[in-house]
This record gives sequence, structure tokens and C-alpha cells, in this order.
Amino acid sequence: MKKNVSFSFNGSEYTGEEGQSVAAALLASGLTQLRSTRFNEKPRTIFCGIGICFDCVVTINGVANQRACIVTISEGAQIVSSQ
Amino acid sequence: MIAVIGAGPAGLAAARVIALSGVAVTVIDAASKPGGQYWRHRDSVTGYKAGRSRKYFDSIQNHPLITYINGAQIWSAIRKDNSFHLNYIQDGVERTLHCSQLIIATGAYDRALPFPGWDTPGSMTPGAAQALLKGHGVVAGTRIVISGTGPFLLPVAVGLAEAGAEIEGVYEAQSPLRWLQSPLALLLNPEKFFELVYYAKKIKKYGIAIHFGRAITQFTAGTAQVSKIRSDLTMNNLGTRAVNCDVVASGWGFVPDLSLGGILGCSQAVDGDGTVVFHVDRNQKSSIENIWVAGEATGIGGSDLALVEGEIAGLSAISRRIPLALRVNKMRKQLFARALQRSYPVGNGWQDWLEDDTLICRCEEVSCSHILDSVNELKAEDSRTSKLFTRAGMGLCQGRVCSRNVCELISEAKQVPVVDSERIAYSNRPIAAPISLGSLADGIAEQ
Repeated sequence: MKKNVSFSFNGSEYTGEEGQSVAAALLASGLTQLRSTRFNEKPRTIFCGIGICFDCVVTINGVANQRACIVTISEGAQIVSSQ
Repeated sequence: MIAVIGAGPAGLAAARVIALSGVAVTVIDAASKPGGQYWRHRDSVTGYKAGRSRKYFDSIQNHPLITYINGAQIWSAIRKDNSFHLNYIQDGVERTLHCSQLIIATGAYDRALPFPGWDTPGSMTPGAAQALLKGHGVVAGTRIVISGTGPFLLPVAVGLAEAGAEIEGVYEAQSPLRWLQSPLALLLNPEKFFELVYYAKKIKKYGIAIHFGRAITQFTAGTAQVSKIRSDLTMNNLGTRAVNCDVVASGWGFVPDLSLGGILGCSQAVDGDGTVVFHVDRNQKSSIENIWVAGEATGIGGSDLALVEGEIAGLSAISRRIPLALRVNKMRKQLFARALQRSYPVGNGWQDWLEDDTLICRCEEVSCSHILDSVNELKAEDSRTSKLFTRAGMGLCQGRVCSRNVCELISEAKQVPVVDSERIAYSNRPIAAPISLGSLADGIAEQ
């Protein structure tokens, strides 16, 4: 059994399993949108899954443009959608 | 000191043979765990012949001559005098690794082709579905359609089915009869037959339906349109049907990541299928003194070939003799790699699937009509000029996803074949990963 890790995304609380990426934990919680695009405001989430495409970028603890598919969730992390 | 970049099969094989020969080696990798994409895992590696990974993982974790730096994203590499400086970010801190010899084993990522709706959440690459499952224990969806070309689609489908997803069909673009063109490759690689049987049993067990000559040509949330296509991927108008699903995973072979070797000046060549790869000699030596390249970055060939190339690169780097058996093995597996190219070609027919507003560059949201306008109205002659007009390929991914597609779209529009120098140009980028100015300004912590 993996340890649970709690973090917030856009102000709501989520829980994932230790070692999971931000994108994986949020997808497992049923969330299908990580951000909106700059120009057309279209929803985006994980696409390549391995840090190549930068489609899943979010702001983690104030640091922008972090790839949600490769950054591991950490206890108390404050994550918001990149604009 | 010898450094190996990448802890996938090629990098692990190189590091292991070097350490077993009594020479110290450092392996630096972006992921937190060894294995690369192929042996990506959470607790233990699963899948076909997963046990093969054990001896390599044991070496990298326990061998006293191997230093393993994980979670390290290299963003630039510099050749200075007789050494290489690899600048990387680890836990938000910038550091530099110095080495005198370098083995590059940076692997590859899925090639994605655009289709209407490929930017809708739920559409992803098979590699993403695989990484979510193997690396994070998350099944990408409940009803999944898999499409594209190549043998990689099978392990992805089987893995997802084993984890409880409903596979609503695997749509392989090419006919299996294409393998008849490569009898020698099949004859010389009999072990591939056992791998096929392994997957065939699982496909039967989970009742996965495999359809040939079809591809996902459209996706809207909840529904994929699957069309009958020709071998060049054009739609043959013999039928399109709707398949209910929440996830589509579509992948068209692989693109090697050339960033770091490109920055260091390693010469490149265009492979038969248009893939840009490093040019290496029979000992995996690149055009630059003291740099070797192994694995997918020298041509897409799968993990079996990567393991052999890694071992050859490692032995060559410490000036050991390469056993004849290893050379024969490499030739055999290279023959199989060429058979893969013949069996799973990716023609330009995907352009048939596009609508005017289909995005080609996801990052900068550049549509098909934007790109064609830059050619027809603004008279862009090549993808570089079109990029300057449209910003296609200028987003965060630096064109990793779209540049080949943009180039081939323009080539079709102008009816001019793509020249090798253009392919090599779009495969290279001045920095390997974005870095914040803050991290740069904080300076380098010496390693």
C-alpha cells in the first residue's frame, strides 16, 4: 500500500499516491483538464506523458511551466493552472 | 571519467559492461528511476522478458564503480578543451558534470500525427498511456481505442487490458502481409516469434480486436472516428465508423531525441524512413572524438538492439575488443530494424485527415490553414520560413512534436521533396530543455 500525499490544485484539495506525477494523480482523481490554452482557451491535459510536449504545464509552488507529467506530487504542494 | 547520458536499455548496458571491466562510470538520467521508457516501472518491471532488466538495475544501484545521478535534466552541454561539461538541473539547483568521454543514450519518444481533435483531452500518445500505467499506476481511461502503426501498439493494448481498461480496438494502419517483404530478417530473428506468441496469447485472453488498414482520423470527447486507409495513410473512402471511447492513444513510430549530441556537434544523417539519427561507426563512435551514441538515437530498433549497441559503445569507450558474437547480434537486429521500417511506413496521407482549423503546432496553436497560408499567400519556401511567419515550432516543446509534420505538410503543398539538411535542422535545438533565468542567475553548484 502506497502512502497518500495531499496537495492542492486550483484551490481544491486532492490526494495521490506517493511517487505519482502531478498529472497522473489528477487524472486518477477524475480531472481531465490541467490548463487552458493561451489563444483559444482550449482545455489541455497530458499528451506525451514523458516530458516532451509541454502540454501539461502547471505552476507548482510559484514556479511556472512545470511539466505535470514528470514532476512528482509532494505533500502540501500548491499547484495552479498555467495561464 | 566516462559519463553515460540516459538510463534506458542502451545506457544501462553501456554502464554495466564498463563497470564489470573495472572502470568507473557515471550514469545521469532525467527520471527518478532507472529503466528509461522501455523498463519504466513503479515497483518492479512488468511485461515481456521483464526479468532481463534485473541485472542492469542491480548494477546501477549497487555496483561500486557506477555513480548514478537521477532526476537530473541536462539543459546544455559544452565541449571545452578535452572534456565535456554537462549542465543539469536537479531538485531546482543547477549543477555541472565533467567527463572526458561521453556515451549518449537518450532514446526516443512517440511520433504523433495530427487529426481533428488530437488536441482534445483524452487524446494522447500510446507512450503516455503506457507511462501513466507503468510509472504511476493510473489507467488512462475506461474505454480506450489504440491507433497508429508498429509493434509497440500491442504491449500498450495488452498492458491497459490487464489493468482493467476496455480496449475498443487496436487499429493498425499497415497490413501484416508487409512482413513478407522481409523473410531474411524474420529468419535471423527467431526469438521475435516467441514475443509475438506471448502477445497473441494475451490478445486472445483479453479479447482485444485488432483491425488492419484503419486509423483514428477524428476525435471528439467520447467518440473516435475510425476510417479505412491505404498504406500511404490516405483515406480510401470505403468507410468511417464511430467508436465510443473516452481515450484515444495514437502513435506513429518514434522520434529519437538528438538535442544533446546535436549541441555537441555530432554529425547526423537521415534514415530511410525520414528519421534523423546520429551517424556512428561500427563501434558506435560519433563524428566527435570521445563521444559514442547507442540505442534509438542511432536509428529506431527497439530494446534488443539498444542493449547490444550499449554494450559495444561501453567496450569501445574503454578500448576493449568487441566480441564477434556482439557484432553478429547487432547486424541481425539491425536487419530486423530495417524490416520494421518496411513493415510500418508512415506516408504523408495523414494530411488527408486534416481540416482547416486542425492544429499542427499544439504549443502555439497554429492550424493547418495558417501553415498553408504562409506557403500560398506569404510565399514561405520551407518550414523555417513558415515557422517565422506562423510561430509553428516556437513554443515550449521547441518543435519536438510538430516540426517534422510541418515540414512534410509544406513539402506536399509545394510538391517539393524535403531535403536532408532541413530534416537535420528541425531535429536540433540550441538548448535541450527550458531553464528559468533565475536558475541560471543562481549559478552552478560544482559536482
